[in-house]
Amino acid sequence: MTTFYGIPGGGHFWHWTTQIHFLLVALAGGFTLYTALLGMKNGSEGRKLAPWALLLIAADLFMLWAESPARFRFTQFWLFLGIHPKAAIWWGAWGLALSALLLLVIILQKQAGKYWYALLAVCSTIVVLYPGYALAANAARPLWDHLLLALFPATALLLALALLIAWRGEEAVRWLELTSWVSLLLALLLPAALASGGVDQARALALLLRRGLLFGLGTLLVLLAALTARRTPALAAACAFAGAWLIRGWLVAEGQHSLFTHGF
Amino acid sequence: MARYAMVIDLESCVGCSACAAACVLENEVPPGHNRLWIRQRELGVFPELTVEYRPEQCLHCENPPCVPACPTGASYKNEDGLVLVKYERCIACGACVAACPYDARFMNPAGYVDKCTFCEHRIADGLDPACVETCPTGCRVFGDLDDPTSAVREALAKAGRIDVLRPEMGTEPKLFYLNTPSNRGLDEAEEVQQ
Repeated sequence: MTTFYGIPGGGHFWHWTTQIHFLLVALAGGFTLYTALLGMKNGSEGRKLAPWALLLIAADLFMLWAESPARFRFTQFWLFLGIHPKAAIWWGAWGLALSALLLLVIILQKQAGKYWYALLAVCSTIVVLYPGYALAANAARPLWDHLLLALFPATALLLALALLIAWRGEEAVRWLELTSWVSLLLALLLPAALASGGVDQARALALLLRRGLLFGLGTLLVLLAALTARRTPALAAACAFAGAWLIRGWLVAEGQHSLFTHGF
Repeated sequence: MARYAMVIDLESCVGCSACAAACVLENEVPPGHNRLWIRQRELGVFPELTVEYRPEQCLHCENPPCVPACPTGASYKNEDGLVLVKYERCIACGACVAACPYDARFMNPAGYVDKCTFCEHRIADGLDPACVETCPTGCRVFGDLDDPTSAVREALAKAGRIDVLRPEMGTEPKLFYLNTPSNRGLDEAEEVQQ
């Protein structure tokens, strides 16, 4: 039996506001990447989506600022000028900032060159990738398995595509179907990945099996999205959105659970 | 330049929490948080039962995973091997809190990440950290690992058993636990279930 004198720092350090950020950053990254790829094919089509992508990035940055207990320092961009390549959030900060600047350039220019869109594709890819990296890099949090390096980008694209159906109709539906299957496969692989790990991963697997109802529900919704994408795109988009959000949200919330403080 | 470390002799620790109280007072730790705390574990199987009082805090690791996780360079290791936070650079993103395998960091309501500093300000004045100074059983010893004559080296040399927390993490902690009561390490001994 374990008891404590004093309060160990094993509590949740991210709250519901961070959950909103994990949703918004997925939408912003995925939407911007789609905009960049579309712009490389057809500049005017890409330019139509650019304001919406910029709006999503602005919403995400605002959310980050609003939820930060260090709002004043958060606005001091020069704090990020050092080189910290091992810090996922450093990549994310630059990815978001440069994506916003590039989108602004694209909006202000009537016919932006394809190189602007190519640069945007690189920056937005970083935005799509960094949340998974930020979680998977923590060896101390076994639920945040390395598989999240693939699962988080996949669900980020799924969230963005669920939204993009409103703009890009059939084209987005095809990608939504494919991304749903990929996300589903990765979500189903997570228990297997944890089962093949060490003692801590086994505990994380037990946590997933014991308290993973929302994760399971999210996975089921993603399956529904994959199955209904062609026949009822609107329903599929709603299922994909809810499912991807549940999967990401549950992993972010439960992954913070400290096995060190509460497990040994 | 030194390589500061601390040892805690668990055979002598009685779990009085004087160290935790001294830390709160010395460092003005906000209510609801602690830079150090005591874990009490009941170990063994009847009739071989024992109670372990284990103080826990930042271990000032040689390879601290919290430092590279910081996007602004607020978390850093100084030339004396102390892992510290430059509060004026901290954006309270929580990346270092997630990275720490020992849950040693917390979000200070003032808007930055907080943790044990081994009382850096006291060390600079040639004093021991507050927890070391206040310990009534003298189970805590602080000093320079690179100095062969230091008290910390002496304590390590005399110890029957030396353990560190979660060695599998590869962080090389500089807080050593001596003489675990179970004599089976920090995580191996079986806890009493209720």
